[in-house]
Amino acid sequence: MSTVIQPSSLSPDVDNTIAPEPGFRAAIMHMIFGRKSTVFALVVMLIFIVVAVLAPWISPYDPLAQSFLSINKPPSAAHWLGTDQFGRDVLSRMIHGSRNSLLFGLISPALAAIFGTALGVTAGYFGGAVDRVISRLIDLLLAFPELLLAIMIAAVLGGAFWNIIAVITVAFIPGFARVARASTLAVKQEPYVEAAVAVGLRTPTIIIRHIIPNIAAPIVVLMTLWVASAIRLEASLSFLGIGTRAPNPSWGNIIRDGLNNLFGSPWPIIAAGFAITCVVLSFNLFGDAVRDVLDPETAE
Amino acid sequence: MTQTPMTQAPVLAQGQSATATTKPARPLLKVENLSVEFGPKASPIRVVNGVSFEVDAGGSVGIVGESGSGKSITSLAVMGLIPSPPGRIVEGRVEFEGTNLLEMQKARLPDIRGRDIAMIFQEPMSSLNPVMTIGDQIGEAIKLHEKMSREQRRERIVELLKLVGIPNPEGRLGAYPHQFSGGMRQRVMIAMAVACNPKLLIADEPTTALDVTIQAQVLELMHKIRRTLNTSILLISHDLGVIADVCERVVVMYAGRVVEEADVKSIFRNPSHPYTRGLLQSIPRLNDERSRLYQIPGSVPLAGTVKKGCPFFARCPDRIGRCAEEMPPMFAVSKSQRAACWVTAGANEGATAAVTAGVTAGGGVSEGATA
Amino acid sequence: MMNARIEEGITPRTGKQAGDDFITVEGLGKTFSENRMFGSSGSAVRAVDGASFTVRRGETLALVGESGCGKSTLGRLLLRLIEASEGEVTVDGTRLMALSQGDMRNMRAKMQMIFQDPYGSLSPRRSISQIISEPLEVFGMVQSSRQRRERVAELLSQVGLSPTFMDRYPRQFSGGQRQRIGIARAISVNPQFIVADEPVSALDVSVQAQIVNLMQDLQQSRGFSYLFIAHDLSVVRHIADRVAVMYLGRIVEIGPKARIYNAPSHPYTQALLSAVPEPDPETRRARIILKGDVPNPANVPSGCSFHTRCPIAQDICKRERPKLAETATATATATEIGHLAACHFAKPMPIPVG
Repeated sequence: MSTVIQPSSLSPDVDNTIAPEPGFRAAIMHMIFGRKSTVFALVVMLIFIVVAVLAPWISPYDPLAQSFLSINKPPSAAHWLGTDQFGRDVLSRMIHGSRNSLLFGLISPALAAIFGTALGVTAGYFGGAVDRVISRLIDLLLAFPELLLAIMIAAVLGGAFWNIIAVITVAFIPGFARVARASTLAVKQEPYVEAAVAVGLRTPTIIIRHIIPNIAAPIVVLMTLWVASAIRLEASLSFLGIGTRAPNPSWGNIIRDGLNNLFGSPWPIIAAGFAITCVVLSFNLFGDAVRDVLDPETAE
Repeated sequence: MTQTPMTQAPVLAQGQSATATTKPARPLLKVENLSVEFGPKASPIRVVNGVSFEVDAGGSVGIVGESGSGKSITSLAVMGLIPSPPGRIVEGRVEFEGTNLLEMQKARLPDIRGRDIAMIFQEPMSSLNPVMTIGDQIGEAIKLHEKMSREQRRERIVELLKLVGIPNPEGRLGAYPHQFSGGMRQRVMIAMAVACNPKLLIADEPTTALDVTIQAQVLELMHKIRRTLNTSILLISHDLGVIADVCERVVVMYAGRVVEEADVKSIFRNPSHPYTRGLLQSIPRLNDERSRLYQIPGSVPLAGTVKKGCPFFARCPDRIGRCAEEMPPMFAVSKSQRAACWVTAGANEGATAAVTAGVTAGGGVSEGATA
Repeated sequence: MMNARIEEGITPRTGKQAGDDFITVEGLGKTFSENRMFGSSGSAVRAVDGASFTVRRGETLALVGESGCGKSTLGRLLLRLIEASEGEVTVDGTRLMALSQGDMRNMRAKMQMIFQDPYGSLSPRRSISQIISEPLEVFGMVQSSRQRRERVAELLSQVGLSPTFMDRYPRQFSGGQRQRIGIARAISVNPQFIVADEPVSALDVSVQAQIVNLMQDLQQSRGFSYLFIAHDLSVVRHIADRVAVMYLGRIVEIGPKARIYNAPSHPYTQALLSAVPEPDPETRRARIILKGDVPNPANVPSGCSFHTRCPIAQDICKRERPKLAETATATATATEIGHLAACHFAKPMPIPVG
């Protein structure tokens, strides 16, 4: 940290007034507490994550334990959310099911962001034939609705955990790739990228140091928004019977199981539906807040 | 001062010739103690601070300053175009022919804007509608303020395009802005601005985006407009060369304040504020043989950071103790020159604060109004 | 082999005398073709056409012209930031066009660039010390982080900024300060040649003087050459040794500064000089107002490309393209030699000014 330069050796015209450091912490605080909806979202997300992490310790029953004595029971002191058609405790199944949602919700968008960004940056930076090939590939993937694509892949590969992760990841890659490509095309025009070439940097260094940090904002925003989509997609797949397989609990198959006895015992569906709605909504609200901080230009 | 007769100003609007007789005593535009703030009310940033100047009928005044001097905000404030919420005019008067525009009803403002006061901007492309033909856009400006038949209007548009030097004006009526070069677009902007024969033309850096040979054309055009239409000009520029070319009086702004105001000769021959002196010495000239340019040390203070004293204090070579404490008022240096500097005031024995005295802005028409 | 040459570049030369040709440009040209996507030939824009000149060791060659004349493209062709369509650039004996990408990258230790846009040319998410030390790292000129910080501190004070700013980010600095940072980056590897692309055009008048003076001081102490690209002839007068004037991709006049300013021989140079508004209300120059606009570079006029706007054009100008030729007469003094103009009627002050 020591520098050899003494003030006396400065040139006389040293220009010493600069703008104050912009308050990044203040911006974060403003992001969190500036809007009530963001506070709500953060509280829900926090509860969701804590519950998922602590599931084995806080769930009152084994989520797989069946009891023929208490089938389709309404909520009671023993079973807060009642029981399902096999007499399993719905609350325990909800708590364990949150782990699936969290894992899918975090892993898939993160993987998709990595692969999608790599593809998009490659296409955007190099252009030409590389761009044409990657762009066509992305268009091809985009032509299928996410859910349909996921069903197709899951039907072929089966419904193992990593297969579902792969399915959701592939479904999300085009979105990231397109955003990354468009942002790269814009950033590539910036004089500082030309400056990096003029300085003598190698292309991979330019991409890592000068392109990716400057396209990170929209990617991060997209990621937070797609956590919600991943949770929703996992629930949909499980509901359709190709996601998390019975008897393992997932919010999607809790709804699926509950559908058989919708009028007799609506509690599982109400609980799982409510949980999905709250969590998805929270991640969306949080994503909006992140976008407002990182990417003020695209915010309305 | 009477309006130029019809015969000499072919594009003069119908029904306007009789209305514009102004008393010579009253300036056309009088800005008094104008202050503009931006940002939240709790911690506002004052970007224009107590600015006063006048523009005489037929006169031409230049506001010169660097970025952050508040010159553009001043011109927007005169037009009532300060973007609000972030900005607001906190005090002052903008009198146009004796009426305070700031107190005028919002609904009446557009009537004056465009007809009596017109404005041209630095970037002509963003000020023109890309999906409307040139003819329609100029026609719209006329339609807003004057009653005319279709044929009359068309004739008028052609006249205007001819005035601003667009070749083959009849053929270009149906052209779109993107079909014109930067210089031609600025001509079209000027044609739109003078369509209703305004009494005052505010030009905010009208030639900054243009190449030097095109700039020469546009400056020539502005002289022609003044000559033939007797329009007063308020020119905002950072370029002292452009100011010297067009203006009779010059207002020098620094960090939101007027630091000197004088006729153009005094500004260039006898600059009285250290900032004006520094600025004049630091500009490179075609005919000077200095190997090194004079440089004002440091940089312009950030908006709102100078809380007391003279804003130029930190960079001033002549500063004295008083400058750090008290903002100097405008002192009269001569009959037509005022400067806000304690040192200048001290040197000019007997100079009195001219804050209220109000040195009359000279100007008027120097060249004959004949074409 | 490359490395040896780079080494040579870092240490100040003693063997050769200042003033010999450092860069030789021969017949350099660039054609941008549009619409290649759809296979058709499209319209080709001749951005630079047959540029030939030299830059001597330690001198400043200014390249002036209006927007779209190709001056920025020419500057980039010299650094191979844009690949030339034809022609050759020889830098200190090395033919650039033949170099591989890797060898060209090594060459960049000798040739740096200062950019026009002080806001865009610094990466917003990198600190000042990261920005300035980037070239040092590329060429392995700093080993430890301590050494790096010392070097950055030294560079910052050389460009008139306080070394305490090295961990700040570009957004905190004013335009002039950013330009100083850009200059520090360019000089960090001790280049022998710097392309300065309109380095002061975006700056305020008072700051412009600071940067021009700084650039001159650095050149004096370090002895590198500048290609100073500008549209402002008054700034050029202060910094240039020689001046080249471009119009529609071609150099129309080139010569020692004194000749270009006192005896401009191409009517375009004349018009450019006369169009600069004089910051003095009492000395009004007789202004040559050119007709019309610069023609579309995709459709350059035949013969002399300036004939459509030239006040003294004759029939021959429409047919024959004048060559860049020596203007000096047999009785020319040494200072008048090397003044070339591309005009059939080239003579000092060819346009009668009245």
